[in-house]
Amino acid sequence: MATAIETVREVTASEYKYGFTTPVEEERFPPGLNEDVVRRLSERKGEPAWLTEWRLAAFRRWQQMEMPDWQKVKFPPIDFQAISYFAAPKQKVRPKSLDEIDPEIRRTYDKLGIPIREQEILAGVAVDYVFDSVSVATTFKKKLEELGIIFCSISEAVREHPELVRKYLGSVVPPGDNFFAALNSAVFSDGSFVYVPKGVRCPMELSTYFRINAAGTGQFERTLIIADEGSYVSYLEGCTAPMRDEHQLHAAVVELIALDDAEIKYSTVQNWYPGDKEGRGGIYNFVTKRGLCRGRRSKISWTQVETGSAITWKYPSCILQGDDSVGEFYSVAVTNHHQQADTGTKMIHIGKRTRSRIVSKGIAAGRSDNTYRGLVRVLKSAEGARNHTQCDSLLIGEHCGAHTIPYIEVANRSARCEHEATTSKISEDQLFYCRQRGISEEDAVALIVNGFCREVMNELPMEFAVEAKKLLGISLEGSVG
Amino acid sequence: MAERIGRRRQIAPDPSFAARFEELTRRLSEPQPLAQARARAFARFFELGIPTRRDEAWKFTDVTRAVNRPMRLAEPRPVAVELLAPYRLGGEQAHRLVFLNGRFAPELSDCARLDGRITVTSLAELARTRPELLAHSLDALDDGRSFTALNAALVEDGAWIELAAGSQLAEPLQLLFITSGREEAVMAHPRCILRLGPACALTLIETHVGLGEAAALTNLVVQLSLAEGAFLAHDRLAFAGANQTLLAKLDGELHARSRYCQTTVVVGGALVRTEQELRIEGAEAECLLAGVALPRAHETVDNFVRVHHRAGGSHSDQHFKSIVADRGHHVFAGKIIVHPGAQKTNAYQKNDNLLLGDNAEVDTKPELEIYADDVKCSHGATCSDLDASALFYLRARGLDLETSRALLMHAFAREVIDRLRDESARALAERMVTARLGERAPLLRAEPLEEAS
Repeated sequence: MATAIETVREVTASEYKYGFTTPVEEERFPPGLNEDVVRRLSERKGEPAWLTEWRLAAFRRWQQMEMPDWQKVKFPPIDFQAISYFAAPKQKVRPKSLDEIDPEIRRTYDKLGIPIREQEILAGVAVDYVFDSVSVATTFKKKLEELGIIFCSISEAVREHPELVRKYLGSVVPPGDNFFAALNSAVFSDGSFVYVPKGVRCPMELSTYFRINAAGTGQFERTLIIADEGSYVSYLEGCTAPMRDEHQLHAAVVELIALDDAEIKYSTVQNWYPGDKEGRGGIYNFVTKRGLCRGRRSKISWTQVETGSAITWKYPSCILQGDDSVGEFYSVAVTNHHQQADTGTKMIHIGKRTRSRIVSKGIAAGRSDNTYRGLVRVLKSAEGARNHTQCDSLLIGEHCGAHTIPYIEVANRSARCEHEATTSKISEDQLFYCRQRGISEEDAVALIVNGFCREVMNELPMEFAVEAKKLLGISLEGSVG
Repeated sequence: MAERIGRRRQIAPDPSFAARFEELTRRLSEPQPLAQARARAFARFFELGIPTRRDEAWKFTDVTRAVNRPMRLAEPRPVAVELLAPYRLGGEQAHRLVFLNGRFAPELSDCARLDGRITVTSLAELARTRPELLAHSLDALDDGRSFTALNAALVEDGAWIELAAGSQLAEPLQLLFITSGREEAVMAHPRCILRLGPACALTLIETHVGLGEAAALTNLVVQLSLAEGAFLAHDRLAFAGANQTLLAKLDGELHARSRYCQTTVVVGGALVRTEQELRIEGAEAECLLAGVALPRAHETVDNFVRVHHRAGGSHSDQHFKSIVADRGHHVFAGKIIVHPGAQKTNAYQKNDNLLLGDNAEVDTKPELEIYADDVKCSHGATCSDLDASALFYLRARGLDLETSRALLMHAFAREVIDRLRDESARALAERMVTARLGERAPLLRAEPLEEAS
């Protein structure tokens, strides 16, 4: 709480503080997309033939597909031929130790507040850094290896652990799942790969930091996390991008697989560049995230704090296939100025006694639009399934919009589903109470908003919770009074 | 190729529709403005096609099988007066318009007591006397829905009802629609236009009754307008036949300080879809909608609701419930839209479902779309079997399982039934619901029929 007030004060002049670019030498493909580009990309990464074919099949699927139009967000048509599908910091060999990383990249991450070395030592967080399209460093690898945990870039995983990648890649989000998933499957450049073996509890938070640096590129990363029987892993994802007048596309795919008794906790603090006050520039964040609770008593928990992006359009989902599996979704989505967010979750209950819980908090300010769209589907087989959904929206100012679109489809009589949602503005009484005690209006709003989001913030790992609270303050800056 | 077709949002209407349209226009040979309005509507219907489940408004209900097939235009079939007796609601003083297969039947209606406060004209008569007025009304409503367009093209009869300013009717007005068919599938497209002047008050009872086993489609459109300070209580009871489809579209306009209270009870019908779009155009208007549906066997009940708040300080409330048994299917897709500037809006939406059949399904989609900040809006949806602890409570007091279940279901439905304005409508609804919930519950003795009529 104190942090939010501090931060709001601290940054009253600042807007998006991660908006710098880094002058690193980069290698990139000319804009455009065809089978040749896909082949070259695959070749450039030294991929086996099956993966090249997999990409090509996805690409052909994608060509047949049409851009969906059911979403609430509006944007001009994207010219997929104008995007460069591969941009990488130029470097001949992957650095053997962290000291070999390009100093410019190091400085970038320092500016972002994540000095690679320090974070490694102080926070004890193992981090995979993805710069534009390529993973630049993975820390703490050794220690994880001793436990049998594989944490590396997906390109490396393709080389080192092809059997695992081949088995699970596309098993949760098939290449033809949707327009952007197909595109990603064809051109994904890198991403993180995690495998936690049977019975291992990952002792530290694993984390990926995504950054889009180069202009005229898109980022298409792919994350694959597999938690084998009885294991546990907590994974964090953070992201930023420079300020540019053009819109940049970020179309990632995240697949989680939890086997018997495994648990995956996936947390995101999304702070892509949201565009300026007039809505120029910013990232299009069109991401497919899906978790499969394949095993019995498995659990997948999504926590997201969405403050950035010009457009956020994603639905981290859980397929509750194993009996007694649990899915959770905690989300805070903040939109200001001209930002648009259409986000929510899907909970598909297949197994018996599966449970899901959805807590979604939407905050809209400025001229933004904030939509919760969610699906709870209870199949006939889901005996005794249980769902509780709560989504609350807060409106700040009279030019913004807050929308709730839940779908609830129940085909089993023993299931119990509840959904509740509210929309309101910050109560005058609460504001008055704070103001009366000498708290300025802006601080009071930050205070109330933080209280509004507490249920979700409490789910975040500690390191992220602090950052998320700060972001909340910054995002809403200039929306009051 | 098959997949492509499966993904289409609409399919082309059956060619028989064109034949029926031609048949109708030839038979009626109406003057230009009206004939043109029909032709425009029919072209629009073909342009819109029959919606498939890919159409978001029809996501949960497949209407194509019930509607897109050759059907004859329904002829009025004589019905024994005694058959209608239980459905004549509103008491001795009520005005009553009876429609047989969509056509006004003056011999069965009670219009003798109509006076200057209320004007009632059958639509067939209006088409003869004031074709340009009807043409204008048909043109006025284009909501982008194919069945509204189809109604405008094929409408043969219905009612034009107008209440002069300040008319407050104590006695109700009943619109009784009887649908009956022989072997061949038939369709009727009645339309009612209801205009309440400033400070009017009326209780409207709309009853749909299906007789016989034949397949039939009733595609009703109601256009409603409530001037400043007007009040309309609208009780709707649908008892459609096992092979009948009822599509009831309601388009309403609510002006300042007007109040609209609608209560719908649906017991029976292969497919009953009530679709309503209500626009609050004036400040401090009130719009209360409630409904209960009891689909069983293979029945589907689909409620599609849009409430637009375009003016501030208004209040709306939707409360829809269902008790779904066997292979029944209940759909609720409600939406509250608070337009920019409609500050101080209070809007609520609730959908409660009891899912009792092993093969039953409930799909609900309560939506909020809000563009003003100083509002209080909320919605809730629940779905489950009967509460085990409530059952236990009753059984611990010596009630058998069947009775306990029936009692809980009855109480659940009662919340909506009690909101019916007209006493006789309430009694009939209660009777029908009780009958449907099963006779094995001695506690729930149904009221004798005489009292209901």
